[in-house]
Amino acid sequence: MSGGVYGGDEVGALVFDAGSHSFRAGYAGEDCPKADFPSRIGVEMVEVMETDNAEESKPDKKLSIDTSQLLFPKKGMEVVTPIKDCMIEDWDTFEALLNHAYKRYIRSSPEQHPVLMSEPAWNERNRREKIAELMFEKYNVPAFFLCKSPVLSAFANGRSTGVVLDSGATHTTAVPVHDGYVLQQGIVKSPLGGDFVLMQCKEMLQSLNIDVIPHYLVASKEEVKPEASAKWTQKKNLPDVTDSWKKFMINHTLEDFAASVLQVSDTEYNEHECVNLPKVPYYFPNGYNREFGHERLAVVENLFNPSKVRGAAPSSMLGVPSVVSSSINMCDVDIRPGLYSSIIVTGGNTLLQGFTDRLNSELASKTPPSMRLKINASSSSVERKYSPWVGGSILASLGTFQQMWISKMEYEDGGKSCVERKCP
Amino acid sequence: MAATSDVCDILELRGEESKTITKARIISEGQKKKPKAKQNAFKRPEGMHRELYALLYHDNMDKPPLLPTDTSLTYQTAKAKLGGCTVVRPWKWMPFTNPARTDGAIFYHWRREEDEGKDYTFAKFDKKVKIPVYSEQEYHQYLSSDDWNQDETDHLFDLCRRFDLRWHVIFDRYDHARFPRDKKRMLEDLKERYYGTCNSLGKAHKQLSEKYDEIVYDADHERRRRQQLVRLFARTEEQVEEEAMLIQELKRIEARKRERERKSQDLQKLIALDTGKDGLRRAERKSNKKKFPGSGSKKDGHGVDEKVSETTYGIKFSDCKSAGVMLRSQMMKLPTSVGQKKAKSLELLLNELKIDQHPMPTEEVAQLFNRLRSDMVYLYDLKMAYANYEMELQTLRYKWDALAPGHLPPVKDAIPLRGLSDSLNINKHTSKTDGENTSKVDSAADQVIDVGCPSPPAVKS
Repeated sequence: MSGGVYGGDEVGALVFDAGSHSFRAGYAGEDCPKADFPSRIGVEMVEVMETDNAEESKPDKKLSIDTSQLLFPKKGMEVVTPIKDCMIEDWDTFEALLNHAYKRYIRSSPEQHPVLMSEPAWNERNRREKIAELMFEKYNVPAFFLCKSPVLSAFANGRSTGVVLDSGATHTTAVPVHDGYVLQQGIVKSPLGGDFVLMQCKEMLQSLNIDVIPHYLVASKEEVKPEASAKWTQKKNLPDVTDSWKKFMINHTLEDFAASVLQVSDTEYNEHECVNLPKVPYYFPNGYNREFGHERLAVVENLFNPSKVRGAAPSSMLGVPSVVSSSINMCDVDIRPGLYSSIIVTGGNTLLQGFTDRLNSELASKTPPSMRLKINASSSSVERKYSPWVGGSILASLGTFQQMWISKMEYEDGGKSCVERKCP
Repeated sequence: MAATSDVCDILELRGEESKTITKARIISEGQKKKPKAKQNAFKRPEGMHRELYALLYHDNMDKPPLLPTDTSLTYQTAKAKLGGCTVVRPWKWMPFTNPARTDGAIFYHWRREEDEGKDYTFAKFDKKVKIPVYSEQEYHQYLSSDDWNQDETDHLFDLCRRFDLRWHVIFDRYDHARFPRDKKRMLEDLKERYYGTCNSLGKAHKQLSEKYDEIVYDADHERRRRQQLVRLFARTEEQVEEEAMLIQELKRIEARKRERERKSQDLQKLIALDTGKDGLRRAERKSNKKKFPGSGSKKDGHGVDEKVSETTYGIKFSDCKSAGVMLRSQMMKLPTSVGQKKAKSLELLLNELKIDQHPMPTEEVAQLFNRLRSDMVYLYDLKMAYANYEMELQTLRYKWDALAPGHLPPVKDAIPLRGLSDSLNINKHTSKTDGENTSKVDSAADQVIDVGCPSPPAVKS
């Protein structure tokens, strides 16, 4: 038993948490991940030098992983992501991410460390088996475990029961967790996530005739008065970049905009009421600056009130509070009070200013009057962003967890189908 | 101490016993340092004060120092001396097998060297719920059911084993697609089947002498409870508010009811006093005589009795029992228990009746004057009660009229009362005979009962 932590016993496990926006990796037992890098990968097609072997003459891929490489303009570099809808689609690129994490951050051989990996609650059987296969056969890990990320988020918040609201890049989901198990029938997903917010930002800026110029284009800029047109010069001899990379860079700029300007209004957004709100100035990379008033509320209002979204069928999307309440209402009536009293908020998108306050007030009106409503949201942004990883770190360093691993021997005896049995 | 041990460490000269820190060593070290209590030559004699003894004899019998010194032990918190003279117990990255695992997989972890080879600490937390097992033969013998086939039962038991009877999870993972039915199985169906099966198996397996504790599970009751719960949670905000309002209303009504009961009891007392005045007096007289034969006979019996009877209502005048000489006019002094308001109205009424506020206090006058005033207060109380009830009646009538206009029953017997109560004053003035007075008040009280409250049972002494 390692002294420090009550009930803890570390076996040198690794925790991987792959999201559609970023990839987190680190040692179990630590309080935040060693690595957090984008899950997007730049792919260049490079003509391989003429070799003797004819079979290898097909164009090779050159991959750019991690922030510093990915943000540098390169000719013909396409941005791809291995993870779609929180599920791994492109196994080769995913492997590249894992390789990078091992090589650059873990710096130890995979054979020595058991691996705990998070997975979305709606993961499919073939994908789970495939990831187990990959870890055991390619990386030769001594033991492996797959755990649903909502369960891990709940553990990170010190709960084993509750409904986990995860508002990430691509999705906002509510998943009921009962006694450490996901209740599959109560999962509710809505495609309103961080990407949606960025899209709304873009539309808003377009309507204000603001051009978003990413950093890489700007060679120099001068200070200008608010709302005056920007004076800047473009970098010369830039390589011919692809559309996907350009879009990635624009989104990167917008992410900063969203994080520093946007705010969720306390009550339902009303343009007239918000005129008096303090304005927030923002400087774009090209020097253009202006103050944003009611716009910064209007953009995120759609997260809570999707009926106002232009050009979308309102029935297909649920606002954040409805996601939570409909998820709880799908569960058994006996456990509803327990779920209402521990709503766990996680995901980078929830760090928008005022998000939890608004959620609280909207949910209060949706909650049956005799029910106690309590929202658990960690105040530190690190814990909110990395909660599945933190939960995994806690779980994998518990002494009582060490019997749960699928060991290599079990995998070899039982085949990959043992994942379904061992990891509920 | 520390210095020598450091040197010893450097020279790698240390005894076998100083290798590791143990709890016992740390404790024994602390105890070693404690100076042994000296045996005192002189024992404290019986009866000598502790303080005095301490002046004469103490541990250190040296002369007190002339200069202040630092060297002596003062009050200070003892510092724990950990480590220091020893080396730390080494940790080792070592392989271990977990007895809670079935595959004997080997993991590595940090552990104290001395603990090498011991059992894994956390294996004892591996607890499993006991789920009964059955063979195929047993199934056919005891468990066959029209509703469930064996595959489905197997599936259910498998889930129970996997999720340790976490029913909500079992229900969530239950493979409804594999066992299609017209009506989806509910959680209660699963529980009913499981507990039913457990009971049948338990009964089948028990020895003849043993008694099997049956698990009681009432699925119908559970279903009804769930329905109720759903209804409870499905209430809208308005319904909850309405319920709260109704409860409030109920509380108010109950409070009013209690208030009315209290009032009617007060009234009852008033009436009882009046109707039973003569009887009461007689009873009082008897009891009084029995209790205080001396004091009763000494004084004028009539006067004493009057006073006693007034105790329940009207004014209770002071008995003037204090020792010493006193003025008889003291007997006529209004006691402080009579409120300002009553005193004022008494004054007014006396003026109206053209009676002197301070008549000559002969014995008889004083008695009569007191009795008169007592009756006046009594009358005042009655009138107040009557007025209250009339007020209440009026408000109730208004309410009635507001709720169902035009259905108001005509008022009867309400008017003559005022004249009657007025005449009471005059009656009092003209004739002070007790009987007449009483009967009038009586009728007034009867009227009040008709109007306001349920007729009270007459209270007789």
